[in-house]
Amino acid sequence: MLSGVFHGSILFLVSAGLQVVFGVQKIFNLACGSFYALGAYVGVSAVGWYVGAGGPPALFIAPLAVAGLAVGAVGVPVERGLLRFVYDRDETFQLLLTFAIVLMMEDAIRMTWGTSPRSTSGLYLTYGRVGVLGTTVPVYNLIVIGASLAIAVLIGWLLTRTTFGWIIRASADNREMTEALGVDMRRLHTTVFTLGTALGTLGGALVIPATAAMSEMGIELIVEAFAVVVIGGLGSMRGAFVGALVVGVLRSIAISVYPELEMLLIYLIVIAVLVLRPRGLFGGPPA
Amino acid sequence: MRTTRRSFLRLVGAGAAAATVRLDAPPAFAQAGHPVKLGVLTIRAGIAAPVGAAGLRGTEWWLERVNRAGGILGRPVQLVVEEESNPKDTVERYRKLVLQDKVEAVLGGISTGVTLALGPVAEDLGTPWLSWDGTTQKGVEETMPNPRWAFKSVDNEVEAIVAGMLTARHFKGIKTVAGIGNDYSYGHDCWQAYQAVLKRYTPDVKFVLELFPKLGVTDFTSHLAAIQQSRADLLMCSFWSGDATIILKQAAAVDLFKTMKGAFTTAGGVHDSLKKNFTPEGLLLGYNTMYFDDPKGSALLKQFVREYKAKYAEYPPYECDHAYFCAESYKAAVEKAAAGSTKWPEKATVVRALEGIEVESLSGRRSWREDHVHMCNFYQGITTHKNPYDFVTIDPVEVVSTKVAMKPAGTKLFDWINSWKI
Amino acid sequence: MSGRLVLALALGATVLAPLVAPTYHVLLMLPFMAYAVALLGLNLLFGYTGLVSFGHALFLGVGAYTGAFLTSVFKLRSMEVILVAAAALGALVAAPVGALCVRYVKIYFGMLTLAFGMVFYTFVLKFYRLTGGDEGMPFLRPTLLGASIEGLPKTDYLAGPYYYYSLAVLVLATLVMWRIVHSPFGLCLKTIRDNPTKAETLGIGVARYRWCAFVISAVYAAVGGALLGPPTGNVDPTLAYWTQSGNIVFMTLLGGFASFFGPVLGAFVFIYLQDWVMSVVPFWRLIFGAILAAIVIAAPGGLAGLWVRRPSVEASSS
Repeated sequence: MLSGVFHGSILFLVSAGLQVVFGVQKIFNLACGSFYALGAYVGVSAVGWYVGAGGPPALFIAPLAVAGLAVGAVGVPVERGLLRFVYDRDETFQLLLTFAIVLMMEDAIRMTWGTSPRSTSGLYLTYGRVGVLGTTVPVYNLIVIGASLAIAVLIGWLLTRTTFGWIIRASADNREMTEALGVDMRRLHTTVFTLGTALGTLGGALVIPATAAMSEMGIELIVEAFAVVVIGGLGSMRGAFVGALVVGVLRSIAISVYPELEMLLIYLIVIAVLVLRPRGLFGGPPA
Repeated sequence: MRTTRRSFLRLVGAGAAAATVRLDAPPAFAQAGHPVKLGVLTIRAGIAAPVGAAGLRGTEWWLERVNRAGGILGRPVQLVVEEESNPKDTVERYRKLVLQDKVEAVLGGISTGVTLALGPVAEDLGTPWLSWDGTTQKGVEETMPNPRWAFKSVDNEVEAIVAGMLTARHFKGIKTVAGIGNDYSYGHDCWQAYQAVLKRYTPDVKFVLELFPKLGVTDFTSHLAAIQQSRADLLMCSFWSGDATIILKQAAAVDLFKTMKGAFTTAGGVHDSLKKNFTPEGLLLGYNTMYFDDPKGSALLKQFVREYKAKYAEYPPYECDHAYFCAESYKAAVEKAAAGSTKWPEKATVVRALEGIEVESLSGRRSWREDHVHMCNFYQGITTHKNPYDFVTIDPVEVVSTKVAMKPAGTKLFDWINSWKI
Repeated sequence: MSGRLVLALALGATVLAPLVAPTYHVLLMLPFMAYAVALLGLNLLFGYTGLVSFGHALFLGVGAYTGAFLTSVFKLRSMEVILVAAAALGALVAAPVGALCVRYVKIYFGMLTLAFGMVFYTFVLKFYRLTGGDEGMPFLRPTLLGASIEGLPKTDYLAGPYYYYSLAVLVLATLVMWRIVHSPFGLCLKTIRDNPTKAETLGIGVARYRWCAFVISAVYAAVGGALLGPPTGNVDPTLAYWTQSGNIVFMTLLGGFASFFGPVLGAFVFIYLQDWVMSVVPFWRLIFGAILAAIVIAAPGGLAGLWVRRPSVEASSS
């Protein structure tokens, strides 16, 4: 159960990045999985450097999170250099462009970090373990779950209580009108896309102490993130949150009850949701 | 320009399309000094990319040595490297190597799915194919019983069979076993074979759980929860890639191996990522056919490990040895087939010379069985932290030959296992 | 006029290729022809109806596995039977899937097809006993027009009879598709693409037409998938993975979805370009990604669009 929540909280970060971008730019960003992988590799390198430089192990989460967020800056060149040319095109072209980014990032990561799996050695258990509901859980998992919750709250606050959030919601509803009101769409797009990218890279960085970075981790994750946003509803933050929990927990239940079903179950739910409630559980009205 | 001449001949010679006559006669009169081309297929992307990289590195190391020493029969060797990916594309790359690049032999081939497709193609194209790590078994039934041109790796299940024998030896009193493997042929075959072997030694053993996560999954916390709930005495795991590292890390986080024994049949493939701070002592760990830290290792192995470490800042995994053996045995077969002359032998003669040939490989003497299967030693042992590295090694090192752990030619796997006298 | 000339030249070159070209390049034409058939169908949906499927690898998979089952389980070797069965099964699967998918357009359509594609992929991967899992199933050499050609080495079989057989299927598929898109049905599809509301007011049953286009495209993809099997001799789940669906959309776009022959050109260029780039650099995905990005940004009409500028490119991308 709790293991599913941990996985779900990472999924939430990546899906939240997907949702922010979809909400404003109406682009379904297949490359969010690649950003996740990028964050993971950068996270390994950052922690490796930090430990090598003699930093206290107890604080390793700081360089990890900073590196994870900082590498989100690749969102700027990706948006300025590629995506901005296709805003007025059909969604299909936008989707294909992000598919092109997936292909390029996969090789770029391989060229930079090689093919061997990379991992941070023992830092996972730096914070020890606690017993929760009769099972042992690494404290780090709880920290990640907590951080993910905090980010959810922060995003909620950002969207509902700040001017920036107001602009985002307004432009999600009506792009032309928002622009007419004097909002600099160019900057907004760059900011939003970078925010979305940073959520993905942060997710990748945070997961890395518990796992190892592998070049195909992005392609694997995008399929799950896809399920999350479909179940939750495209563009909805609440949807991403609930969807991530549903996917994470259901997967963990399927594994202990009937392992054969694992991923098949997720797809079947996705199809059921799409057929019965195409806007997802929390999707907005038809665009 | 060879093409133009042949094309012309073709136009003249071909009447009906259905009866196309192939006129690519091999230029058997190649001169000394003219480089000999060998094709290499290696995985570059995805979960098995590190395995592919190791195989290629092993082959390149061999290449440097051979070319420094004057090549094969005085001809320098040149590699044409192509990517092994899915079966369809790899079959196309294989055809390119043979038909377009005109290589003398093809080395490589790792994934079982791909090599199943390559086998018949290799037979059809009539060029020796020496597979590093691929078998042409399917659900433990041999699908290509009498190959002429294809040379196959050891059976998928050997590691699991060895692990089954050693489980019985090192972990006496095991009553319940849980298994986890990747959801593909290797994972399923290993688990079947392991169960069959262990049952022979401990007939009352119960197999309480089997999990087959998809290849490439990077989060096993849910699987580990299920394994813990099963309360098995031992976990058998046939992961061989980064997922082995990940499951050990996540298992340490829930103290799985405080209460459970573990048999990791193949995790030695990523040995230097199995750091001491999350990999416990006392697990059974398999290194496949080469153990880099073998105290009884040859001078060749020691030199290779030293140079590999210097060049790549890693310690070499087993795939290097498969690859080195394939290349080295090809060289030996060519020299044997030439029988003292410097004339380059026909491919068919080389293939006959390969059968039964024995050469010194990195991990010691290795040979091709008459039915085109690798014969070699498998290295497994119990993990220890007593070493100068930051990752685990094994002590004692158990060496088991394929003579005892692989089904003899022409037998069926489970009949053979059940026929053992124990 | 010049278009016809180019077409005649291309066809002539394809007919003569096995006699003059190096064997390897002749063999590369086989996946090209198989993909070309599938892409003709995909483009009925993409270019003519305005629906982009990200799950069409599903139907490639259905066709290929049909052939594998028939030849290796049921010992049925006739290629004609395989093609008919693949087409029938493709239609059978596409009927319910299409009925659910065509209720939506744009991104929702794309996602639903992707989800169905992944269900199929997971199914063939998981049901190891039935499908061989990741190892796939052998697709044994089929007989062509009842003639058993067992004596011929596989390479000669593929570069000779099978080559012309595939070519005949491609030509036939092209002719049929040409008729379809130039029939009243095809015109209705274009109206639906450009303005579904107008189509509805004109009395065109939009959903029914979309569904028909979906089923036809699935039949084409299944036939293409069946043709893809014999050259490899083995059918495996990667054929049905979502990246494969992405690749065939890539091919369509590369050639130009707004032109009838664009996708065929796209398949040709994709296959030969991939062959060349793969033998030159190990990082071919990077280069292919860059090419795809460049096409999407700078030349949405694809190669055919660069050659003949057609106004319909804009119409369908608005």
